[in-house]
This record gives sequence, C-alpha cells and structure tokens, in this order.
Amino acid sequence: MHELGIVYEVIKIVDHFVVENQLTHVEKIVLEIGELSQAIPRFIEDCYPAAVSDTAYENTKLEIVMEPAEARCKNCNAVYNLIKERKICPNCGHDAFNLLSGQTFNIKEIVAY
Amino acid sequence: MNTLKTFTIRKSIQEDNIKVANATRDFLKNQNTFLINVMSSPGSGKTSTLVRTIERLKNDVRLGVIEADVDSDVDARAVQNAGAKAVQMHTGGLCHLDATMTRTGLEELEVHDLDLVFLENIGNLICTVGHDTGAMRNIAILSVPEGDDKPLKYPMMFEKVDALIINKTDVMPYFDFNMEVLEERVRKLNPNVKIFPISAKNNTGLDAWIEWVQAEMKGQ
Repeated sequence: MHELGIVYEVIKIVDHFVVENQLTHVEKIVLEIGELSQAIPRFIEDCYPAAVSDTAYENTKLEIVMEPAEARCKNCNAVYNLIKERKICPNCGHDAFNLLSGQTFNIKEIVAY
Repeated sequence: MNTLKTFTIRKSIQEDNIKVANATRDFLKNQNTFLINVMSSPGSGKTSTLVRTIERLKNDVRLGVIEADVDSDVDARAVQNAGAKAVQMHTGGLCHLDATMTRTGLEELEVHDLDLVFLENIGNLICTVGHDTGAMRNIAILSVPEGDDKPLKYPMMFEKVDALIINKTDVMPYFDFNMEVLEERVRKLNPNVKIFPISAKNNTGLDAWIEWVQAEMKGQ
C-alpha cells in the first residue's frame, strides 16, 4: 500500500504549480493512470481525502482517467490490450510483444483559477 | 466571479524522483563511490549474500551498506560485524525506497571515504523496482525455495535488473527448481542480464559475482 505516498507527491506537484502560476482555487485534479502502473486507482481514491484533509485542497475533486495497457505483437504487429488478452496476441497467438502504453502515472491537468 | 480554466500539467510523479536520483548518481560519481541497489523478496538471503560479499571485498574496497527495513536493526548489525560501515533506515511501513530516502541514507553513512555502497532495499518484488534510487546498478536476488516461476509472476523486477543472483542453491535437491527453465524465463524478459547461482550459506559460487562487481566498479 504505497498509494498514500503517491497522493502526497501529487499534492506537492500541484501545489508547486499553483504557487508558480499564482492560482487561488483548484476545482479538480485529473490523474492519468496506466493499467500497468503501480498505483491502484481505487486505493488512490480511498486515500485522497486523508491526504488533502486540512489543506487548501480539501474541497478539490479528484478524477482518474485510465490509460490502457496496449502492446504490439512482435510476430504479426497487431496491437492489442495486454490485460484483456492475457498477454497472448489474439491475432496470431504469440506471446512476445513490445509495450506501447500502460505504465503512465501522470498528473494530466488541473481545473482552477 | 473567477472563471475556471484547465491547466495542462502532464507531469509524471516520478519526475522529481528521477531528478533526485540523477543528482545522486552525479554526486557519487564525482567522489568515486559506486552504489548498488539490492532487491528481492523477504527471506531470499540479501543480508547473508552481502555478508559473504563483504568478507571477500573488505581488504581491497572500503565498504558501506544502507539497510532499509520497516523496523529493527538486526541486518545492520550483521553487516557491521562482517566489516562494512552500516546505517539502518526505517521506512515506517513504506514498501520501497525512493531517491530522497536513499540520499538521506547516504548522508547518514557519510560516503566520502567509501568505494562501494550496497543499498539493501525492502523485501518486496513489486514496488522497489518502480523507483529509481540513484544507484549505478540494480540487482535482484531470487532464492531457490521461491520457485523458478517468479519471473512469470513479477516480470518487471527481472526485466529491469543488471544482474540476478540465484541464492540457496544448496537446497536445490529438495525443490522443483529448474535452473534452465528459470534462465529461459529471465532471458525472455531481459536478454543481457548476468545470472549468478550461489549459496551464501555454503559460501559457494560467489567468485563470478565478485568479479562482476569489481568490473562494474572499474567501468563505472
């Protein structure tokens, strides 16, 4: 369970951005989390209230956008979802692939003034 | 009334960690200290492998160890007795070390007079590998009783390391551990990884590992 540490890190980066851009109110933080990232979205959502409690972001909403775990088959070049297909290419049945996406953990954007 | 605007940030939360890790590598390089991050499951023999390594290197190399544990200092005392300078870090429940914690450990250890420092990471095959600590090399230890299917279950660990030690080869006869199958599974994820089968208990197989450490230190 390392999600709380991750959420603190998110708040730190957002706070830095807020100060730098002289913003006064943050309505929403949008995170982009890959299906293969080490953070579990449900746990992020669960510990978010604790992380922002008694801070300037207490009323800031959190939104999570998922990034799919996509891979390109090394044998036939088909692009497929690694988790859905359990790492086996649905087109030719090979299991060698290059990962295209899914490991991201980004702060995508914030909605603020 | 203020209007809400969307500000694109697109910043990875790893970005700050990577910055600190790169700064640590520069700092260590400047003073000729080599840092190796050691990862594994709990109980794979990280500490006993380090003790054997220290015994073999201590006459030629000034050694330090940063022990990271959720609690206790038994590991730090063990490596200290073997002849290395050691500090114990408590992560208070956290499951991995990041670059900032590693930096704190290096400062506590006072590394200016050390040639080689091992970072004994928390026993964990998942979170540890996802965080750059600032080490020059990353290695993992897998022990025979854990099974040869670990690379299938925790691929990222085996994909990212520079070297893999297979420990507890002395108990091989009692387990269904197939070294060839293991190697095949690891190579599929990481074709160039160095694999060193050892028994820390019987003090066997360590020569190749020690030679690798010495060569990597020279090559930086």
